[in-house]
Amino acid sequence: MNERPSVIVLRELMEGAEGWGREQGRAVFQQLLEKVEAARGCTLFKVSLRGVERADISFASETLVELTRRFRSEKGFYLVDVGNEDLAENIEAAATRKVQPLLVWSNGSARVLGPEPSQGTRDTLHFALERPQTRAAEYVAERPGMTIANASMKFKQLWQQGFLLREESAADSGGMEYIYRRIG
Amino acid sequence: MQCVIDLPAKWINPSELEAAVQRSGQPHGQDVFEVEFRFPVGSKLMIDAAIRVLSLANQLALTSRRVRLAFDEGEAGTMGYLNRAGFFDHLAGPIEVLPWRPTFSAAAVHRGGNAGLVEIARINKDHRDTTLPGRLAEALRRACSSRADVSELTNAAWTIFAELIDNVFSHSRTPLDGYAALQVYPRGDRVVVAVSDSGLGIMETLRPALQAESRLSGLSDLDLLVEIFRQGISRHGADRGDGLRGSAAKAIRYRADLDVRLPSLRVRLTPARGSYAPNTAHCFDRLPLVWGTHIGFTLRLTG
Repeated sequence: MNERPSVIVLRELMEGAEGWGREQGRAVFQQLLEKVEAARGCTLFKVSLRGVERADISFASETLVELTRRFRSEKGFYLVDVGNEDLAENIEAAATRKVQPLLVWSNGSARVLGPEPSQGTRDTLHFALERPQTRAAEYVAERPGMTIANASMKFKQLWQQGFLLREESAADSGGMEYIYRRIG
Repeated sequence: MQCVIDLPAKWINPSELEAAVQRSGQPHGQDVFEVEFRFPVGSKLMIDAAIRVLSLANQLALTSRRVRLAFDEGEAGTMGYLNRAGFFDHLAGPIEVLPWRPTFSAAAVHRGGNAGLVEIARINKDHRDTTLPGRLAEALRRACSSRADVSELTNAAWTIFAELIDNVFSHSRTPLDGYAALQVYPRGDRVVVAVSDSGLGIMETLRPALQAESRLSGLSDLDLLVEIFRQGISRHGADRGDGLRGSAAKAIRYRADLDVRLPSLRVRLTPARGSYAPNTAHCFDRLPLVWGTHIGFTLRLTG
């Protein structure tokens, strides 16, 4: 169940170390799509920005953010090796504009670029990011007073908004339940 | 009728240029068949004003007007500087230059030889110069090397140039080229970067992007432009937008003066210098028509 991510090195798809503008972005996006389609069955992708020195907001929007948005709730993409703050800021601006969160992982901790989770789901996301996968029942077990229905709704919201992945699984009770996986 | 744009005998920044164009009437006026730009002895064009003159002169020539640039000081004066900056390499062929067009391009001979100058580069989507934002950013980095924030500033500046120039590629829809250039003014403690095009103007770009925000879509062009700056200024609004708004936010964060000229309006933004002076936007509307979008921003070399 702990699927190993497929790795995409963005720089390998770019002409140079700088990602500039919509046109270049669209060309790179096509290559990103091919990579994703080639990794049939894979739902988790680690996108390394190693070697990418700069990327403007338009480029980030047409590539990373567009890709993540297109596969939202089906496949998860997270970023590693984001080289500088300006790069992160530009991805954030693009992600905010398209209302699509993107997770950046560094030294074992995640940072959300783009829209933040709502106040009511923040703790749930924090909980989910601390483990590879989880279920509403596990969350409830550690949050006295929380109902399964309420927890399930929070997880579902996070999944729909693109913060988490999920899949169906047989519950101990014999019914069906969802397992929520972190992106990263 | 003839329209004469009399430039003053001093340093000419976009404000001085604007005043001279206003005094001349309407260079793009329907009854105007000839336009002369007069540069008296002692007039010195700053780079942001220079590429606006270049764009306007080329626009007027494209619309079949006779256009003349008269430099009283000849190559010893501002004309020599313009030649070094590559101005005449881009000036439309039919435009008359007095006393004469330079016989060789100083920009072609010395290109890249002065760390304080990025010669005027054309912006044309069919001849995309992928090195241009990097060259501008690198010149800025060298110029501002004494600033403590030079590294962050250089990256932010690259994004700003990339967005502005890409905007020209994406939206200008014009037969005329756009231009970008940079000049360091050590004695004035500043570096000036300018991007200019003769196309539709950024409002054409921004309006569709703002349709979802109905409060903004009802605003006039002038109010909208100010709102973009205001969003850039506000803590919560910073970077919450498309490339242009994000770029404005970055420029403001590094306390750049911004000057944006659109077909008939202009906004000049001066960020707060001290804790008591607020960010100030100076707005001008009903200006003489100049096609396109002309953006200049000025940064202190020493922070």
